[in-house]
Amino acid sequence: MFVHRSMTAKVITIGKQASLLEAKELMRDNNIRHLPVVDEEQKLIGVITDRDIRGAMPLENVRLPDFCKKMEVVTQLKVGDIMTPDPITIGPHDTIEDALLMFEQKKVGAFPVVDGQGHLKGIISVRDILRAFTNVLGIGQPGTLLCILMEEKVGQLKKIVDAITEEGISFGSVLVARYWDENKRAVFPYLLTNNVMRIKQKLKALGFELLDPMEWYIDQLPSHEPKG
Amino acid sequence: MKRTGYLYDLRFLLHDTGPYHPECSERLQAIHRGIEAGGLLPLVKVIGAVKAEIRRIEAVHDPSYIRRFEELCLCGHRTFDFPDNQMCQETYEVALLAAGGVIEAVRQVMAGEIDNAFCAIRPPGHHAEVNQAMGFCYFNNIAIAARYLQDEWKLARIGIIDFDVHHGNGTQHIFEQDPTVLYYSCHEHPTFAFPGTGRSFEKGVGPGVGTTRNWPILPGQGDDEYRKLIETDLWPTFDAFKPEVVLVSCGFDAHEEDDMSDIRLTTGGYSYVMQQVVAIAEKYAGGRLVSVLEGGYCLARLPELARNHVQILLGEEIPG
Repeated sequence: MFVHRSMTAKVITIGKQASLLEAKELMRDNNIRHLPVVDEEQKLIGVITDRDIRGAMPLENVRLPDFCKKMEVVTQLKVGDIMTPDPITIGPHDTIEDALLMFEQKKVGAFPVVDGQGHLKGIISVRDILRAFTNVLGIGQPGTLLCILMEEKVGQLKKIVDAITEEGISFGSVLVARYWDENKRAVFPYLLTNNVMRIKQKLKALGFELLDPMEWYIDQLPSHEPKG
Repeated sequence: MKRTGYLYDLRFLLHDTGPYHPECSERLQAIHRGIEAGGLLPLVKVIGAVKAEIRRIEAVHDPSYIRRFEELCLCGHRTFDFPDNQMCQETYEVALLAAGGVIEAVRQVMAGEIDNAFCAIRPPGHHAEVNQAMGFCYFNNIAIAARYLQDEWKLARIGIIDFDVHHGNGTQHIFEQDPTVLYYSCHEHPTFAFPGTGRSFEKGVGPGVGTTRNWPILPGQGDDEYRKLIETDLWPTFDAFKPEVVLVSCGFDAHEEDDMSDIRLTTGGYSYVMQQVVAIAEKYAGGRLVSVLEGGYCLARLPELARNHVQILLGEEIPG
């Protein structure tokens, strides 16, 4: 669950003296959108994105009378002129959850991964996080998702896990989430089986409610009113 | 009335999945009972199973996978890779009989000896991958039949309709690069149901882009959703492809009373779906259609579902 396990370690970088065209080509050729800018000692000094470059070469310029003059200025621009200096970074031993929360709050697409000495170790993008969570959820493996509602009290989850274990079914993952009723929780075991008939009947017999997945939203918060 | 073949063989009951397994021999007995009680046995041509030639299996599965399956059975292993795949010493032989029986039904249809057929077989097939048993499936019966049609009858456009409630991952993967086989599947949405594939963006690979089509159905949906997908998507897709033969992966597990899924297709809804599938075969394939059993686990409902299915193949009216 650490950043260094999910990041891209073979990171493509650029120097601050490079031209915008060079940066653009590097991004196009490698199908990436973020380039860390480093100095001679591989220390991070900035980040340049495809958006920065597009911003520096606005199409509106074409319609302006002094277009040629403007283009002259643009072609002389260096990476160091338009990069974001001092970008937000993340450490190799920060967790994937840290990265997830940072992506949500900082509204950027990738973080350079930098060690305590300021050396660039890699880059982690939203896409890397998505891959990591696809993996954690186990949805690459064949299985069936159960949607169960349980009372928020000690021992409930154990009952569910025990019932599933007694059936000899393996878990791909278990997601426990909040429910609009604060005294309840929604449990989503992803079971690595096609054979869910008996376990569904068993859980119902144990008094658990099987949620209609259409009645639940993955980003639903306790403050939301119930549907209907 | 149509000349309908009915593949059924008592040896299919020998595949023993142990106690409490939904894919049990009682399923097949329920299906047979429904057809018998409906007075249909005198109207159909009963086809007995024959073992498939290994080369027919090898047209789909890795030789090493076939050997491993045989060895595990002979050695008395009770499971094959996943606990889902319960088996016994006879399972390998029964799987050969199932695949061979389907090939025989297809041969009779192609030779004009019968018009169409329903193959009441087990073990089922559509989850079986080239080298992986999965979801109660060992040999991919429908894929083996499609390859036989390509190899022996040189067909250039084979249409497969899979209305089992689970996505037929094996069949899709086997033909996803093959533009001559159209794989169309409607199934419970893969976020909620096994095996987690069959999302609408899976449309084929390389030269096969466009001849894989998936329609995921959200939990709780039923007859209306099937009507919509058949009218707005299944028909146009098959109008464009114009299959020379239609193969059906027939699963009865989308039924509202089947606990394996959250889809609520009614008995009448099943009849409607099958009537439309038959109409597609009539329009483009001269009525040539072979339906192959996949899932369906509600023992109380299987008799009527199977009876209606065969009645529709015979061209009889089904009371709505």
